[in-house]
Amino acid sequence: MDYLHASADTGECVAPLTVLRKVRSLDGHRLRDTFLMWSSELQALMDAAVDAVILIDDRGRIGGVNLSARRLFGFSVDELLGKNVSMLMPEPYRSSHDSYLARYADTGIPHIIGVGREVEAQRKDGSIFPAFLSVGPVPGADPPRFIGFVRDVTVQHVAAAAIERERDKERRSQERMLHVSRMATLGEMAAGIAHEINQPLTAITNFAHASDRLLASEEPDVAEVRSALREIGGQALRAGEIIRKLRRLVGQQETQRAVTHINEVVEELGVLTQADARHNNTRLRVELAPRLPQVNIDRIQIQQVLLNLWRNAIEALTDISRGAREVALTTKPGPDGDVEICICDNGDGVAALHADRIFDPFYTTKRSGTGLGLAISRSIVQAHGGSVGYRPNHPTGACFYVQLPSIEATHL
Amino acid sequence: MKERAPIVFIVDDDEAVRASLRLLLKSVGIAATALGSAHEFLANHDASQPGCLLLDIRMPGMSGLELQQALNLRGAIIPVIFITGHGDVPMAVEAMKHGAFDFLQKPFRDQELLDRVQLALTKDKENRVALSQHSKIRAHLESLTPREREVLDLMTRGKPNKVMAADLGISQRTVEIHRARVMEKMEASSLAQAVRMMMDLNATVAADR
Repeated sequence: MDYLHASADTGECVAPLTVLRKVRSLDGHRLRDTFLMWSSELQALMDAAVDAVILIDDRGRIGGVNLSARRLFGFSVDELLGKNVSMLMPEPYRSSHDSYLARYADTGIPHIIGVGREVEAQRKDGSIFPAFLSVGPVPGADPPRFIGFVRDVTVQHVAAAAIERERDKERRSQERMLHVSRMATLGEMAAGIAHEINQPLTAITNFAHASDRLLASEEPDVAEVRSALREIGGQALRAGEIIRKLRRLVGQQETQRAVTHINEVVEELGVLTQADARHNNTRLRVELAPRLPQVNIDRIQIQQVLLNLWRNAIEALTDISRGAREVALTTKPGPDGDVEICICDNGDGVAALHADRIFDPFYTTKRSGTGLGLAISRSIVQAHGGSVGYRPNHPTGACFYVQLPSIEATHL
Repeated sequence: MKERAPIVFIVDDDEAVRASLRLLLKSVGIAATALGSAHEFLANHDASQPGCLLLDIRMPGMSGLELQQALNLRGAIIPVIFITGHGDVPMAVEAMKHGAFDFLQKPFRDQELLDRVQLALTKDKENRVALSQHSKIRAHLESLTPREREVLDLMTRGKPNKVMAADLGISQRTVEIHRARVMEKMEASSLAQAVRMMMDLNATVAADR
């Protein structure tokens, strides 16, 4: 019935053109009856719509609204009809709306018509809510008129925010786990790192004492002392280099992906793996395949995965005779253009009984394991679109592999 | 036989560390040979060369502890000073249990190292003197006839000639002749010296077990 009100108040016919065409072909009271019939049917149709429907003219004045519009905005029909539709918007849209209409009138270029977008809307009580607005022009109307559909998307927003919060929580918890796992790994490797820095310090101390004694002799061999001093300088640099590499490895905090050569990532770990290998009387064999395709990875996360696998390998060797321990770290092309990193040890391997479950959270075969290392590793690698797995090593031991999609493979 | 000069053997996989140790020893006039791995040392080990071994406890491949065990299996007597890092105390304890002479935590003061090396070299010398005496005593023992050996056993247990003669069922005169031969072959100037020789030998046999 609101449409009739509109017509009566403004003296304008606001019915859609299709209705008017019908009306024009008729005459007298039949015209009025038909008009009423169409109008009331149209009104019923509009009132049945879930979305708010608002009709405006070329100057933004409201020519008609449906039931949902009144309910949604909390205004009565009288409060809306003839008013500028900008009353239904918060600032700054409220002040700009007339200029949008003018721009369309001047240029004929639509910005919202036929596209639909999310906007902010304002109720009578001043509360603002997110709304999805789609606008269509009334065909053939001159001056132009527009019909707008407004849908309240508050529920979707709340749901999306809740999902985002959940994701955020999950991400933060994963980051925390990653951090804890990182610290734990570094803690386990600390003794090896200390040992590695102790080596040049020991050499420096010895060279210095030796120089002192050589110079105290009656005919000091200056050349020998000079050579010792050069050694001292070189060893000091060596200690600095170890610390610099460690800082690079440990200092990085922000996590982000970048296109990287996997071999560089593995080589960067060398400062830790070499120290750890030495500390555990383990021979380390590194074989990096040349010309591997690049990967798009979070370097720190992938290094954490590799360190987890590395520590597992080292721990798997504690029952093996010291002279026989060996871990191989290799990179090579994997299936489907993937890049594969393998960490293989010559320990006792993983019993078939455990092999299916070792990647499950809290499943551990170690006496003091958390059962999280492999689970975290798997979730990191999967987030990179890759996979991590186990296969027995030949003739004995375990082989853990990480397959990461190369950027070439990703683009295919 | 002329006494050979002792050599300190340095076994460490870190080139700079072993070069610095060699120079430090050289600066006080001690000859040293530096080797990069336990295998290298074992392959060239000459048991008759006096000296001591400065051994890094952690090395890739054969570790210091494993080298020590290999040397023990060969019956080598060279004193071993282990060089350990921080937190290697449990390993050092294990090394000491297996007869290590001492251990040093790196980095260490030069005097600490030099003192221990001197002590180890002295110990090695004593070991070798004792060993050569023992082998001499063993050689003397082996030159005795079974009857002379019986006489020596009874002598060192303090039995008088008369008792020995009765125990062995021979004349007292024959016992005296055996006795003189035993003293001559053992190169002992008195009964007391012969007793000490046997006690030394038995003590070493007991220690070896």
